[in-house]
Amino acid sequence: MKPILSIRNLKKSYNGQVVLDIEELDFLPQRIYSLVGPNGCGKSTLLQILALLMKPTTGALYYDDWPVVWKRGELQKIRRHVTLVHQSPYLFHRSVRYNLAYGLKIRGIHGDEQHRRIHDALETVGLEGFGRRNARELSGGEQQRVAIARALLLQPKVLLMDEPTSNMDKKSTAEFDALVPTLIERELTIIQATHMPDQPERLGSEIIAMEQGRLV
Amino acid sequence: MNFLLDSLIQALKLIFSYDPEVYLTVWTSLYVSIIAIILASFIGIPVGLAIGPCRFPGKRMVITLLNTLMALPTVVVGLVCYGFLSRMGPLGHWGMLFTPWAMVLGQVILATPIIANYTLGALSAADDRIMPTALTLGASSLQSSMQLLQEIRFGAMAAIIAGFGRVIAEVGVAMMLGGNIRAYTRTMTTAIALETSKGEFAFGLALGLFLMTVALLVNMFLNLLQQR
Repeated sequence: MKPILSIRNLKKSYNGQVVLDIEELDFLPQRIYSLVGPNGCGKSTLLQILALLMKPTTGALYYDDWPVVWKRGELQKIRRHVTLVHQSPYLFHRSVRYNLAYGLKIRGIHGDEQHRRIHDALETVGLEGFGRRNARELSGGEQQRVAIARALLLQPKVLLMDEPTSNMDKKSTAEFDALVPTLIERELTIIQATHMPDQPERLGSEIIAMEQGRLV
Repeated sequence: MNFLLDSLIQALKLIFSYDPEVYLTVWTSLYVSIIAIILASFIGIPVGLAIGPCRFPGKRMVITLLNTLMALPTVVVGLVCYGFLSRMGPLGHWGMLFTPWAMVLGQVILATPIIANYTLGALSAADDRIMPTALTLGASSLQSSMQLLQEIRFGAMAAIIAGFGRVIAEVGVAMMLGGNIRAYTRTMTTAIALETSKGEFAFGLALGLFLMTVALLVNMFLNLLQQR
């Protein structure tokens, strides 16, 4: 099977200090991957690079077998298929609906199709009827779910999530764990960083263990 | 004391009798400053947006320069523009000197650094996750900058209002580049200076009341925005 994302000889350094050093790593489509490891082991840096928000110092990243060219226009094309949900996601100072519609408007999706996708996404994360609410006034867990809905409705091929359940309570985490495996059926590849030791197993995900910027 | 009281009563009479001279002067001030502030916003806000999120060598120098330009004396701006626009100057053939457009030009130069600086201030207080969030949702660099502007919209409005407060109350540029021509380039500030020197204190006071009202409204609006 052809990998959706591949890394070859990738390094990221800050002020001469190497924080990420991965020789080879492939992510196959329609799989769930969990990046695990202690704080500062490079999980978030790797996600930022995979989301094309951070340029590696050296090495290559391949999307769907094509080398990523770090030019604005090229990056934007790939970012339409790869979406990142941050650990503390930022929601725009508007309604939940505005936040969900943002990426759709950029893709030229309006009207009924936009309405349907927003409705479905809110239903998926258990936030039906939240469309008119001010996104910034929601609880941390609700904001996290809005951010996941905002990413899901864009129907990306790769969904990256940095500690997606860090702000969620037990009930929401259980709902999230039940939701993730169903997303694979939507031809989605999920790569998440997690601190919860038992979550990768619950999700049925492949574990990528990291330490000091390297794969273990 | 009687002099002040009489002048105040006379000034109020001028205002409430809709004295055409007073209202024409107020109108000239307002339209020149509004055009200037619209143009300055189209320059100052993009300058702030271009400098704020970027890291480049000499950024601190550019910010220091913008800070310095905020304190530009209006007569110096008037003087330099006069040099360019006067008949002997390099832009003399434009025939702009002593027209409202010359005043607009001077006021744009005064307001742009203020708007750029206030925008920079709003950006430094903005969340640094805004642009990466927009980018990861598929936005282009321009679209993510526009989203950043949306998120700091109250700060940007405050920038525009602060710039307006500066240009509506300035005298140097209006006097030197407008020439204080009656019913053409006479603004509230230049008229106050002129009428008072002619002994028409009540007329000056009437315009002063208008100017204070505009300043009050601008500050009230600014406070309202800052509270949001």
